[in-house]
Amino acid sequence: MQLKASQQTAQQIAQQTAANAPKFKGQDLKTQELRERGLLFCVGIAMPVLILILWEITTQQGWIDELFLPSISGIVTEFFAIASKGYAGTPLMSHVLASLRRVFTAFGVGTLVGLLLGLLMGYYKYIRAAFYVVTEILRPIPPLAFITLFILWFGIGEISKVLIILYAGALIVMLNTMEGVRACPKQKILAARTLGAKDLAIFAYVIFPAALPYIFTGMRVALSVDFGILVAAELLAGDLGMGYIIQDASTFFNVEALFVGILMIAFFGVVSDFLLRLISARVVHWQG
Amino acid sequence: MPRPSSTSLSAANLTEPYVQPAADKEIIGLSQVTFGYSRKRLVLQDLTLSIRQGEFLTLLGPSGCGKSTILNLIAGFYKPLAGLVTHGGEPVKGPSERRGVVFQGNALFDWMTVEQNIAFGFRFQSLSKLEKQQKVKTIIQLVGLQGSERKYPYQLSGGMRQRVAVARSMVVQPEILLMDEPFAAVDVQTREGLQEELLKLHEQVSGAILFVTHSIEEAVFLSDRIVILDRNLGGIYDETLVQLPEPRYTPMNRVSDAFNQYRTDLYLKMKAIG
Ligand SMILES: Nc1ncnc2c1ncn2[C@@H]1O[C@H](COP(=O)(O)OP(=O)(O)OP(=O)(O)O)[C@@H](O)[C@H]1O
Ligand SMILES: [Mg+2]
Repeated sequence: MQLKASQQTAQQIAQQTAANAPKFKGQDLKTQELRERGLLFCVGIAMPVLILILWEITTQQGWIDELFLPSISGIVTEFFAIASKGYAGTPLMSHVLASLRRVFTAFGVGTLVGLLLGLLMGYYKYIRAAFYVVTEILRPIPPLAFITLFILWFGIGEISKVLIILYAGALIVMLNTMEGVRACPKQKILAARTLGAKDLAIFAYVIFPAALPYIFTGMRVALSVDFGILVAAELLAGDLGMGYIIQDASTFFNVEALFVGILMIAFFGVVSDFLLRLISARVVHWQG
Repeated sequence: MPRPSSTSLSAANLTEPYVQPAADKEIIGLSQVTFGYSRKRLVLQDLTLSIRQGEFLTLLGPSGCGKSTILNLIAGFYKPLAGLVTHGGEPVKGPSERRGVVFQGNALFDWMTVEQNIAFGFRFQSLSKLEKQQKVKTIIQLVGLQGSERKYPYQLSGGMRQRVAVARSMVVQPEILLMDEPFAAVDVQTREGLQEELLKLHEQVSGAILFVTHSIEEAVFLSDRIVILDRNLGGIYDETLVQLPEPRYTPMNRVSDAFNQYRTDLYLKMKAIG
């Protein structure tokens, strides 16, 4: 075929010119890119390290009152003390597990509920219409505004705590899922239809996968919001959880323990977001 | 007019023994079709058009004259306000796997591999697994996608993606394939390759093709028949039968005198519409 032939000659010419051209001395693109990424990583690490160093120096030198900002070494010491002796008579592990159980129960159930409602609302315009006003009213209200109401309704125990977290996360997952379903390009749906797919197959093979990136975005936002609400919920009542440590430590001006609580929540928040991101990249791999 | 099926390509297990359709049997008919996206502004009025079994028909015409609209009506995405669209004598009631569509934009399923995209239509057909695999394999070879079976659309070039789209619609052997400027977004070289592949596929698969393009060259190279639509309300301005030496996909056809004659003719007609 003519086309093939001309392509081949073009290739040969390119090879010849490449052979004749003077050797390029610099790095190739791949190593350049690697170098840049390494550099960016270093900058990203340098900043927090710098902050930590400044923190430690200023507090060690007594430039900042220990009562406002404890030294890092002080926090670390306090952490090990709590880890070995427990806090308020309860082992640290129990506090951590209590918090994580609350968050992940609420997050898990909330995601399922939000997903289901979001899919239905995205797909069926009558269901969407039925829920529209309610969600639009609920959307701008910070979930924490409901916390005392939840306690009034469901008691001060575990249920209110989990439910308020669940509500906050479910709403976010629902709105994102609905958005994802609606953002599915019409052409893809029509393409499936002209290939013989009926409603259920279109939903399973086209609309749901197309919404997955949105669903995962929603889940990540929901998870971080859930951690925030967790602390607030544990501040209110109870004697167990990382939020309780924060609350209890602040009433006794135990700033070091307060920081231990804050940093532990930050740690678990970051780790679970990282894991969720890994899962998301696995599932939504086609995003390139 | 359907070409005699060529014997130069032997990978023909895509079709059951090819039955030459009666030369003038209508597959799609539009009779007195009137349509507008709103009742206030009509796009088509009293359009009558017949597409024959197995033929390659191309619509040419100024932008906005209603070419895509005609495809939408035949596909069953919209219903005419008046008049009738028929497929094999039966009124078109909605989208159907008997009428394939290749969209201009990216209508591939990004979450499926090339292979899965192409095999999608088979999910809804009761063929044996082996048969499905065979057909998918054959068409992948015909459009030159060997080696890319496991890739995802984002890993493909624009031309390759369009190949997948064509293969996906073709492999289920629709009685007619509707193609709305399918190659408009790819470079000239790739485009010529795609055109030649399309002609080869058309020989292997017995269905008709209704093609829309703005390129006169593309129309002449591909078509058995070219219909030029008028600027106002989708009237038919002209109809040209194209006869070029077989096999139609030879690149030599692009530079022949006959080809140039058709091109000049059509160019002047398009100019006349303005
Ligand atoms: N979805 C739509 N809603 C409303 N009006 C539309 C819609 N699609 C097309 N139209 C209008 O209908 C008319 C015909 O459009 P159509 O897309 O069929 O033209 P076309 O011949 O395909 O043009 P082009 O060559 O630019 O693709 C145009 O005036 C256009 O503005
Ligand atoms: Mg168009």
